[in-house]
Amino acid sequence: MKIVQMLLISSAVLAPSAMAQRWEVGAGVGGGFYTSQDVTSSAGSASAKLQTGLAGGVWLGNNTQGHWSGELRYEYQMGDFALSSGGTTATFGAHTQQFHYDVMWHATPSESRIRPYVAAGAGIKLYQGTGAQVAYQPLSNFALLTQQQDLTMLVSAGAGVKFQISSHVQLRLDVHDYLTPFPKTVITPNVGAKVGGWLQDFVPMVGISYTN
Amino acid sequence: MFRKHWISAIASTAAMAAMIAIMTAPIQAGTFGTVVAIGGEASDIALDPARGVLYIANFTANQIDVMTLSNNTIQTSINVPNQPSSISVSPDAHWLLVANYGANTTGSATNALTLIDLTNNNAKQTFTLSNSPLSVAFGFDNKALVVTTQEFIIFDPTTGTTTLLKTIPQVTTLAIPQPPATFPGSFTQATATVSADGFTIAGMGGTGNAVLEYRFKPGTHGLSAVTYTAAPPPGPSVVSLSSDGSLATFFWGVQDANFNTIAQFSNIAGLFNVGSTLIDSSRNLIYAQIPPAGTSATVNTNPPILNIVDSDNLTLEDQIQLPENLAGKSILSADNNTMYSISDSGVMVLPVGNLAAYPRLSSSTEDLVFLGNFCTRTALTQTFTISDPGGNHTPFSVSTTTAGITISPSSGVTPANVTVSVDPNAFAASKGTVAAYLIIGSSSAIDLPPTVRVLINSQDPAQRGTIVNVPGKVVDVLADPQRNVYYVLRQDKNQVLVYNGSNNTLTATLRTCTTPKGMAITFDQQDLLVGCDNSHYMSVFDLDLLTAQQPIYVADYVQSVASSANATLVHVRPAGSNNPGIGKVDLAARTVTQLPALGVYQNSLPVDTVLTSSSNGGSILVASSNGAVMLYDANSGTFTASRHDFNALSGAYAASNFDQYVVGTNFLDPSLVPKGTILSGATTSSGFSFVNQAGYYTSGNTSANPGTIEQVNLTTGNAIQPTATVEAPMLAGTAATTSTTTTGATTAQNITSSVSVTSGFTRTLAPLPSQTSLIVLSTSGFTVLPWTYAASVAPPVINAIVSAADNKSAAAPGGLISLYGANLSPTNLATSQIPVPTALANSCITVNGQPIPLIFVSPGQVNAQMPFQAVGAETVVVHTPGGTSDNFNLIVQPTAPAVFLSGVAGPANNLPTVIRASNGLLATDSNPIHQSDVLVIYLTGLGQTNPSGVTGYPGPGSPLSRALIAPTVSLGGMNLTVLYAGLAPGEVGVNQINVAVPGNAPPGLNQPLTINQGAATITVSMRVIP
Repeated sequence: MKIVQMLLISSAVLAPSAMAQRWEVGAGVGGGFYTSQDVTSSAGSASAKLQTGLAGGVWLGNNTQGHWSGELRYEYQMGDFALSSGGTTATFGAHTQQFHYDVMWHATPSESRIRPYVAAGAGIKLYQGTGAQVAYQPLSNFALLTQQQDLTMLVSAGAGVKFQISSHVQLRLDVHDYLTPFPKTVITPNVGAKVGGWLQDFVPMVGISYTN
Repeated sequence: MFRKHWISAIASTAAMAAMIAIMTAPIQAGTFGTVVAIGGEASDIALDPARGVLYIANFTANQIDVMTLSNNTIQTSINVPNQPSSISVSPDAHWLLVANYGANTTGSATNALTLIDLTNNNAKQTFTLSNSPLSVAFGFDNKALVVTTQEFIIFDPTTGTTTLLKTIPQVTTLAIPQPPATFPGSFTQATATVSADGFTIAGMGGTGNAVLEYRFKPGTHGLSAVTYTAAPPPGPSVVSLSSDGSLATFFWGVQDANFNTIAQFSNIAGLFNVGSTLIDSSRNLIYAQIPPAGTSATVNTNPPILNIVDSDNLTLEDQIQLPENLAGKSILSADNNTMYSISDSGVMVLPVGNLAAYPRLSSSTEDLVFLGNFCTRTALTQTFTISDPGGNHTPFSVSTTTAGITISPSSGVTPANVTVSVDPNAFAASKGTVAAYLIIGSSSAIDLPPTVRVLINSQDPAQRGTIVNVPGKVVDVLADPQRNVYYVLRQDKNQVLVYNGSNNTLTATLRTCTTPKGMAITFDQQDLLVGCDNSHYMSVFDLDLLTAQQPIYVADYVQSVASSANATLVHVRPAGSNNPGIGKVDLAARTVTQLPALGVYQNSLPVDTVLTSSSNGGSILVASSNGAVMLYDANSGTFTASRHDFNALSGAYAASNFDQYVVGTNFLDPSLVPKGTILSGATTSSGFSFVNQAGYYTSGNTSANPGTIEQVNLTTGNAIQPTATVEAPMLAGTAATTSTTTTGATTAQNITSSVSVTSGFTRTLAPLPSQTSLIVLSTSGFTVLPWTYAASVAPPVINAIVSAADNKSAAAPGGLISLYGANLSPTNLATSQIPVPTALANSCITVNGQPIPLIFVSPGQVNAQMPFQAVGAETVVVHTPGGTSDNFNLIVQPTAPAVFLSGVAGPANNLPTVIRASNGLLATDSNPIHQSDVLVIYLTGLGQTNPSGVTGYPGPGSPLSRALIAPTVSLGGMNLTVLYAGLAPGEVGVNQINVAVPGNAPPGLNQPLTINQGAATITVSMRVIP
């Protein structure tokens, strides 16, 4: 309930800037590729991350000026928690959801058929462990992959290109880099272990947008 | 010499029948035989198969009663002169000859024979004799042998002539009148009988202890006779012959054609008017009522019992209850199916060929052996079958007076399986073998139902040996030096039992003479000699063939036998000799000669004297109950030492190859000078055996306690590794009693019956030459001890006792505990048996003397369950084959909860066994407790419950056994709701607490889960997440 409330608040804050503009709504699919962080303890270290998984997202954007626009995005990624060390890997079923607003600058005017762009923004990301808990999880001396959820802030940066393939339809190719603090609630360092830093999630995606 | 004296026979049958009280005695339920009362005292009987009648000499009514065989009723009587004492029917059925005992006055008209012509309306002739006739008997030639007090006469009934065969010394008889309650058998003790083939007549007569026995061959007129002085007196007055005359019973003995006693009954009263014997050659049996010593001649103090015994050695086959006492002669019908006997009331008719039609009882076993364990207190059960040998449906009952034994069913109808259950708790204190008895009774069985011996052994792990059951009475054991077998002498069945030395299985059974007392192997190791207390023959067996050889005749009764390199000696109680003493066996001639002297010593020793030889044949040790010892030296061929340093001796006796000897607990040197004593062992010496220059010694306290075996330092007498045996070695019974012998100046031979002569000496130990086992005669038969019986593990040591759950908490009632120490068990072993056994791998643990269930044993650790009743100060002891630990004193707390740290998750172990009900998995860091979870905590030590738990048994599922003292549980300082606390259903010694985790339980990696119960608190750390 708390997470839903935060998402609604974010939408309410960002939505007014898109009012009365040229609207774009679209959806895309791609994949998520995470960087990892080391969990360290006296016994050594283990690499913790989320495994690569399918990603899908929807967005709602508006074009305010010739080169500027804004976009509200929601993405869902499949990717198990993973902990690796010394050839041993422990995984735990998981997925993430993220909601963020990006400001976009296009290199060409809005009427151009091809519009490269860059984007940056912020939002929130929910890590959710969905795997079955078992009495023993390998590498649990480093960290515990947990059937919990962890809501973190998210910073987004990306780039892409839009191809106008008809009067109202665009093909979009983009890639985003999402950064969150390491989700310690779902990948919990065990007693004596430490982990920190940020997780990066590179998400290339291809999508179709409808514009008015 | 004889003059005819005719006495008219007034034979008005109808009138006589009216005068004679004829009655058939009512048959008592459970007895065998029909009594036909004659209204007088019967003195003799004779069968007339041709006419289907039995003639009964009515001694006091002066008549011959004629009983019809078809209905066993007396139809008529024939009057005869005074006191018809003996009768006989000629084989051609023409004549009935009657001896009239008369007034016993020479020349008296009543000293006569009455000859009745059965073919001529019972016409009578009387022939007066010079002397009082004792007996008459027709041979196959239809001529009668008449025996008077001074002569043997041949009487030809056809011509009425008599021929003097031989005179004999005066045979005294009782004069008439005698005091009341004097019976016919007492007047003359005279009786005679003829073999079924008619070729042999045998009889006896006399008064008191003096008796004349004779045998006559009608074909050759060969006559032989001997006189005896018998002790006890030669009663009952009866002679029986086998069908060919080769075997005869005279009073209480069985003799061959040379009057040599093959076998004799023991413990007898010697009454002339009570008892009888009859040889049944068709079945190789003897039917005998031999009243036991103490039986009154007039007051029926002992119930009359007909013993059915084997004819060769009197081995008892069955015992039949009679409606009244037999009282003299018995004869068998021509078809061998009916026995007619003189009895108290007149005659008894016993259909011995139809025994199968009568209700009898037999048991499928003589012994029931319950091999329990001191540490095992669960009930032991065995089943045996009670049946009727004839297949009848015979009612029975089974009972015992011994507490701790239950019988089901306790009554029924044959055939039936009877289950006997033994509660080991009732017998745990003895640790040895307790003998109890099942009394089988019946309201209708005619035989004495068998008694089943129940042997209950409660072996402590430290007690050694394996029991091999041998029912009955075993009295001697010998190991064969060549054949890897050993011989056990079973006295009550007259058997040598041959056992395989490798596997201790019975391989052969050899029939011996009657009441065997001792064995010896000849020096050439080819023959086994067996001396017997109730036979004038020693049995001889070829040890290669295990077959009986020609026996050795002994004028006396052999008590002990030993073979040296140059002589086989026997010690005898006297019959033909004047004194108990030592005789020398001539194996070639099969005879024994009593030695005139024992070297420079007189040959007069107590009856209870034993002989034993050294295994190299160099010497024979002689030990007597009066404390005297002697030594026969084979090299010098004489007795070289004799001493009397003791007032009494008993127990073990042995001779070594190294000039050492042991009697009881005393060491003797080659001159038999006492040189020391065995310093240890139980109170009663039982067996000793030299093995090279070492000695093995067995002893015991009582037959119900364990025995002791030890090696003995032959120099110091100190014990080497004394070890408790599974049961007591055979111990001597009461002090030896000797039968007295009266020697008559004119007798050729004496006969004495043994009166339960029990030796105080015991030979019970036989080390096998292969040095694989030691055989020890013991309470249940014998015990097999491994040669390395003393190679034991060290005694157990207890170092600590803690809760088995976490190895640190205290013990609580009903909880699981771990004992830590050394030598707690010879091996590792766990069990899942329910109920949990109290003995495992030969180890057990007692808490205040009570064995407790064992779940796992190992040399260093034992897991067990503390009894629910154990609270407070308790003493714990471990019992193992290595011995018994010192007491370990322990305070058992009322409650001592301890969560099992037995959880395992991957490589992680020692995890608290807390289960999340939501997924049924162990709560771990990777399966953490969630808020609102329900947890099941497995632990032990919650203490007593309601309903009370049963030690060794799983906790019940319904109703649940809840802890008497309710625990509280908190998580992270927050109290949890306890849903259940008590025994875990289906688990032994395990408790469980079910708790509900509140929704706001504080999360954390190491939240304390704390259980408080009574004064005890235990905490484990758990991970909690939202």
